[in-house]
Amino acid sequence: MDVAVADRLQFAFTIMFHYLFPIGTMGLAPFIAWYTLKAWRASDEEAAKIAAFWTKIFAINFAAGVVTGIPMEFQFGTNWAAFSAKAGGVVGQPLAMEGVYAFFLESIFLGILLYGKRAVPPALHALSAVLVCLGSWLSGFFIVVTDAWMQHPVGYSIAREGRIEMQNLAAVLLSPFALWQYLHVMVAALVAGAFIVAGVGAYYLLSNREAQIGQRLVRAGLITGFIFSALTIFPTGDRNSADVTEYQPIKLAAMEGLFNSTNGAPLAIIGIPDVHAKQLIDPIFVPSALSFLAYGNFEANVKGLTAYATELWPPVELTYYAYHVMVGLGTIFLAVTAIGVLLLLWRAAVYRSRWLLWLLMLLMPLPYIANEAGWTVSEVGRQPWIIYGLMRTNEGISSNVASGETIFTLIGFLGMYFLLGVIFLYLTLREISLGVER
Amino acid sequence: MSIAAFIILAAMIAVYVILDGFDLGVAAITPFIARSESERAASMHAIGPFWNGNEVWLIAAGGALFAFFPKAYASAFSGFYLPFIIVLWMLMFRGIALELRGHFPTRIWHDFWDFCFTVSSTLLILLFGVALGNLLHGVPLDTNGYFLGTFGVLLNPYALGVGILAVLTIALEGAAFIMLRIDGAPAVRAAKLAIPLWWLVLIAYVAVTIATFSMHFSERLAQTAAYGAILPGMLIVLSLAALIAGYFAFIRKAAWFAFLSVCAFLGFLLVAAAATLYPYLLPSFPSGNGISIFDASPSPAALLTALVAVIAGLCITIIYAGTVFPRFFEKGNRLIKP
Repeated sequence: MDVAVADRLQFAFTIMFHYLFPIGTMGLAPFIAWYTLKAWRASDEEAAKIAAFWTKIFAINFAAGVVTGIPMEFQFGTNWAAFSAKAGGVVGQPLAMEGVYAFFLESIFLGILLYGKRAVPPALHALSAVLVCLGSWLSGFFIVVTDAWMQHPVGYSIAREGRIEMQNLAAVLLSPFALWQYLHVMVAALVAGAFIVAGVGAYYLLSNREAQIGQRLVRAGLITGFIFSALTIFPTGDRNSADVTEYQPIKLAAMEGLFNSTNGAPLAIIGIPDVHAKQLIDPIFVPSALSFLAYGNFEANVKGLTAYATELWPPVELTYYAYHVMVGLGTIFLAVTAIGVLLLLWRAAVYRSRWLLWLLMLLMPLPYIANEAGWTVSEVGRQPWIIYGLMRTNEGISSNVASGETIFTLIGFLGMYFLLGVIFLYLTLREISLGVER
Repeated sequence: MSIAAFIILAAMIAVYVILDGFDLGVAAITPFIARSESERAASMHAIGPFWNGNEVWLIAAGGALFAFFPKAYASAFSGFYLPFIIVLWMLMFRGIALELRGHFPTRIWHDFWDFCFTVSSTLLILLFGVALGNLLHGVPLDTNGYFLGTFGVLLNPYALGVGILAVLTIALEGAAFIMLRIDGAPAVRAAKLAIPLWWLVLIAYVAVTIATFSMHFSERLAQTAAYGAILPGMLIVLSLAALIAGYFAFIRKAAWFAFLSVCAFLGFLLVAAAATLYPYLLPSFPSGNGISIFDASPSPAALLTALVAVIAGLCITIIYAGTVFPRFFEKGNRLIKP
């Protein structure tokens, strides 16, 4: 196998598996902070139980996230040595900052949250929940900043031996590209958190247990799910698209399956990209909508893939499908939560609508797919670049690691993560079935 | 500026070794000091609130190495690909064992994870020790600073010796920590075990120290001359003093004093190791292609930014960790009853 392909497969697998857990921690942490604060300020016994319940699930997520996160930190060195040697001066820095600013915060205060309830005063216990949340969100920030720099490099200079160095840390940390991407990622994780909360609440209501807590969870999940679903689309999703349109037009064309440059380009709702024939099979179009979304003008010219050399194309099918899966699911989330909120306002009918509760319960895994699909658009769509416009992906690999070695370790990761995944699901489902009231 | 970065990085690694040392050490000696299931549970519980935060020091040090010395980060981790991935897997196993043991009240489940906990932790100490031994010894590198040898090269007698010293010393630290945190029979057994362990550490320490000096003797002599005789002599005296202080502390069952002495001993050993390595991050043997701190770091201005960002973060961390962790050692919270 081509070495670069083996390296990419390993990275894709390990990062996608790892990311399942940060979705859970970043998505649930704000709920835990909210319920913990409520329990502390309002002496709300029920909120304390809910907070303790989600903290248990958070802790399982956190442990799996740490365990699968360690290889990520070092994989740049093991499999992407040329990339690391060249760009480590920039990308190493947010990663180092993630360690010292975010991980310490999260892990130390999670220790308090889990072990220290009796050892510390209640105020510090409540503060710990907030700091754990802050830690997980900061951690996401530094990761997105690193990725955003690879998508749209800023604030760097080229030094001896072609090494890329940090010239302006603030420009890297505060790049508008990074900030909108960060907001989009975090809001999307919150949608996942909201659907978990609502889904578990729906499960309790459907199984006729813990009715009061079930209602509380469904209500919280629906309201936050509705707000954050809307925010994934506007303004965060919209601003992300605008950045892609401006800085990565080839990715935009691949996302939309647009092969030929067109004035008043239509938006493909569905369709099958045929890369060899350079066309979309069986499409359903909204006329001129793509031009409007990209440039705010129904007549604008949108460049298609054929305007660029084929070697600059990302894998078109994967980018296209991942994007459409993400957008399709996002639309479903907004629609379902909107209906749910309406039923909530209309005489709390939502708690009696078994079909909606079923829907909420079954939808639980889908935000995970939407999150992963979004990252797939971002990362696969960036190809063939590892740093957009500066370094090709196949130039970034470790030249001294054979594909056989990488395939061996990939198999090892597959086995280990399979085991971990089974145990994770088992433990999480067991916590849910044990219930909030113990 | 490169020197400052080297010092910060070495300090972060030293803090990691000392802090995660007690987690790993507790795991390594658990089969010897805990007989019943509840005693083994207590030994995991003793490190429960800490191990994760301690492991972050390794992740932070990895990040700092990446940011301060990208070339060394790239060369070291890709060069020692398989051993390094095995370290990662062991780290993962240790974490999984710690997290999962308590979730299921069955004898078989507990036994299995206790076994994984001890084996992965002990292997980790050994691998870290062997890695350090190889760094001190030097490894064959090509002109780009990439590793040229095989597994067999890495398992040389000197590196294995350092590995054994590491296992013994960390186990001793673990014994002291058990005395500090656990009440009853395990603490008594740990104190008893510490004495023979101490003698083994002393023997291994003397052997490894002599081997380190006699290896590449002329280079070592030149290095000693460059530092002046004061620093190496001082380190030997200080580390021996800390070790001997530990002996008396173990005899008198003074848990805190024993723990701090072993930590100080470890600290001095690591300072000595860093001083031996300097100015290399990855020395080569036969010499010539080693990666030095000046070669591997970005320009001073870029490095300064990275240093400031990391040091500021560390200061904040030390402040809150220093506020929070002592709580676990206050009266009533310190001792765990099995």
